[in-house]
Order: sequence, then C-alpha cells, then structure tokens
Amino acid sequence: MYYIHTISSISNQDSFRNNDVYSSLRKFDAENDVVAPDYKEFIPRNALRRLSPILRMGLTCAMECQKNTNAEFDSIVVGTALGCLKDTEKFLTNFITSTSDFLSPTAFIQSTHNTIGGQISLGLSNHSYNMTHTQNNLSFEVSLIDAMLCINDGKKNVLVGAAEEKIPFLENLQPNIVADTHPLASGASFFVLTDEKKSIGIKKVDALFNIQSVENEIKRFLATENLTVNDIDLVLTSNNIELSFEKTIHYLQHTGLHYSASAFATHVGHDFLKSNPANNVLVVNHLCNDKLGLILLQKG
Amino acid sequence: MSDLKQTLKEQIIEQLNLEDITPADIQDDTPLFGEALGLDSIDALEFIVLLEQNYGIKIADPSEGREIFQSVNSLAAYIEKNK
Repeated sequence: MYYIHTISSISNQDSFRNNDVYSSLRKFDAENDVVAPDYKEFIPRNALRRLSPILRMGLTCAMECQKNTNAEFDSIVVGTALGCLKDTEKFLTNFITSTSDFLSPTAFIQSTHNTIGGQISLGLSNHSYNMTHTQNNLSFEVSLIDAMLCINDGKKNVLVGAAEEKIPFLENLQPNIVADTHPLASGASFFVLTDEKKSIGIKKVDALFNIQSVENEIKRFLATENLTVNDIDLVLTSNNIELSFEKTIHYLQHTGLHYSASAFATHVGHDFLKSNPANNVLVVNHLCNDKLGLILLQKG
Repeated sequence: MSDLKQTLKEQIIEQLNLEDITPADIQDDTPLFGEALGLDSIDALEFIVLLEQNYGIKIADPSEGREIFQSVNSLAAYIEKNK
C-alpha cells in the first residue's frame, strides 16, 4: 500500500483547503474555470507575474502539500497531457506573427510541459528527483506509478500530481482529441505519497494501452487484488461502464473535461473513504477509447 | 520626450506583466533592476525584445544593456538617440 499523507486540489469545485471534497461536490459551474485561492498568499509577487494559470495552480497545490507534510519531498512527479497551453500559444503566435528578430523569452521558457515540475522545484528550493510524464489522458496514472516506484526505491515523501489548463483555442481542437461533450476546464491535484502508515492509500494503479474491453480489464484488475465488482463501494468514472457498481459518480460532471481529471477523482475517492464506512474505491479513466486508467484506493 | 517616457512605462508594465504596478509607480529615474521593481536577467532579455519590436532598435552588444536599462530616463535617451 502507498499511503496518502495529504492532498491539495484546485478545481472547478470548492476543493482547496476542503477536508471533505466528496460531501461538497456540486455540478460543474460553467461560469467559473476554477475556484482559486489568492495566489499572492502563496507565491512571491516577482515569481507570480510570470506564471500562467497551470503553473499557479500546480505550485500553490505543491506548496500547500509541503506545508501539510512538514517535511522535504524526496521526489517530485508531475503528470500533464497538454502542459502549459497558454505560454505555448503565446510563444507560437509570436513566432508566426512577429516580424522582429527576437521573441519574448518568458513564453518560450515556460511553454514546455516540465515547467510545472521545474517551478515547483524552484518554489520549494527542492533539488530532488523531478520528473514529468505526458501520456495523454493517462498522464496522472503513469505519474502515480512512477511515484510508487520511488517509494519502492526507499523514498519517504513523494509529491505526485497532475495539472491541466484550458485556453479558448482548445475548443477548436477538442473534438479531434476525444469524443466527449463536457465543457473544457482546468484543474490541478497534488498528493504526497509516503511509506508511513496512514488511514487511506493507493493499493494498485494500472495504465493500459490498446485495450479491447473496459469491463474485462476492470474485472482482471480487481481479481489481482482478490476483489470483485461487488467489493467496490464507490466507482468514480469518466464514462459509462457496463458493470453494476453499488455507487457510481461520473466525475467529469463535476470537474469538466480535462485530461488529468482522474487526479481530482482520486481526491474525491480519498475523502469518500475518510468519511464513510467503506473500504474500496475505484477510479476508472476511460476518456480515450483505447486507453484505460485504473486506480484502487483502500483504507489502510 | 515625456510622452515617450509615459509610453515606455506602459510598455514595460505590459511586457513584463508587472501586476499591481501602474505607470505612476515608476519614476523616471527609478532603478529598473533591484529593489524597486525587482526585475531580473530574464527581464533584461524582455527589454531587448521590447526595443526591437516597438522601436526597431537592435542592441548588438548585450553588455550595453546594463547602462541602457538603468531607468526610464536612460531607456528614453537611448531610443531618442538611436531611432
């Protein structure tokens, strides 16, 4: 078991510094992208002015996790499917339209996917292992697997999370990426995994590619832990599943559509286990047809 | 010249995304690098881009920047001399 020490999420929900995100879930609010804290309370002014929304969310969640953990992270692992879209768009627009010989360095520097992990490293003055994973909608799951390997390798407190930001231009691209009609959104969720016993942990994670049957893969995944569908108290899923679970939440109805929303679903699953007489929560991420992410949360 | 300085202040705020700072907060002789605005080496690169894009002035020798970017006064004087 890989225990969860603390979690911090910024999302469309009122999730930041909320001890029970599950109980306060509401429908996605199209009027707001995210319910964000005042970033000036977390990030120095001189650093903040350069940071796009995804960097602000990621760094703030990481800082909140650091504060709650009260120990230095010995690994930082970040997942993001589309990365720093705002700076990428700014850089490419300048690149195409500018007639000058020079381009703004800031947008270029911050357009790469690993800027989130880099800014967290700079913001926390943490020079430990720092890795970014980009695997489409499974970026968070792959990051979790890396974080679990870090724990196996003897690391004590591993920061792992995922972040995505939307830009208006994404509306044009979205139909070509995944067949889903939920409104586009932004969000970030970060966790501290530890080998120290806590009340709730992550038992198993799979990131599967080229799958044939979601239902068969779920049954196989649960069977490896000697579980069946009937043992799952809550399933949080991105899409409909042809299996009968006791309780199901379609998490995109709360997060909106972004490619790392399963990280927020994991936060909800954790809070459900914390406040309910339940033992097993399954997060099913089937946003892309041939890819499947499965995360099993359990009481410790 | 005073119009140029006012324009420069607005361009600096926009290019460097100086949140919560207005042109009135930047005196003509305020040192741009250091305590007052807290600018750094990346901002120096942004100044080079600003001069090229808005005034068509290329700084061939980056070491000149230290003197040119001292204040709005020095920036305006350099633009007047080279445009």
